[in-house]
Amino acid sequence: AVQLEQEQQGRVVMRERYLRSLSAMAGHPVRFTMYEKVNVTALFEASDIDILNFHVSELQTPLGVQRDALLRCSDIISYTFEL
Amino acid sequence: MTEWQRKTPLEWQKYVTKEVNVTAAEKHDYKGWVLTVDPVSANIVLVTFLEDGKVSVLVVLGHAVQEVGIVKEADDEMREKLALLFMPGES
Repeated sequence: AVQLEQEQQGRVVMRERYLRSLSAMAGHPVRFTMYEKVNVTALFEASDIDILNFHVSELQTPLGVQRDALLRCSDIISYTFEL
Repeated sequence: MTEWQRKTPLEWQKYVTKEVNVTAAEKHDYKGWVLTVDPVSANIVLVTFLEDGKVSVLVVLGHAVQEVGIVKEADDEMREKLALLFMPGES
């Protein structure tokens, strides 16, 4: 029971830090590295709680700028931004 | 599910505030200080403090993580910088 409690406490701290990193990213340009060597840049707007999709705006694509888009997290390898 | 995604929160916690090398899908390699691992997605948040005072944040998605190797432990100064990052009242 002590082990379980420790584990839950650890989850809470790590989850809160992750959610804070997402809030800090909102409105900033983010560079996404996707599978098949695709790189795109967009402004981050929001995520769902399961971290399955990212809502972005101003998505830069070879065909022009998409005002709003949904990126599936399963298509993304990494993302990066600066503060 | 990959080996990284199957780890328990206590196992992920061992990487927090360590400098690590992450090998990811399609031969991508990343290095930075681990701020946290999201227990839901297993996404790993790497932070690098740049010379101009800016902070670079790179997140590797949990499903794309292949290997994580610890490079070194944080000293007290680094621990504090990481603890204050993204906290309310800080910018």
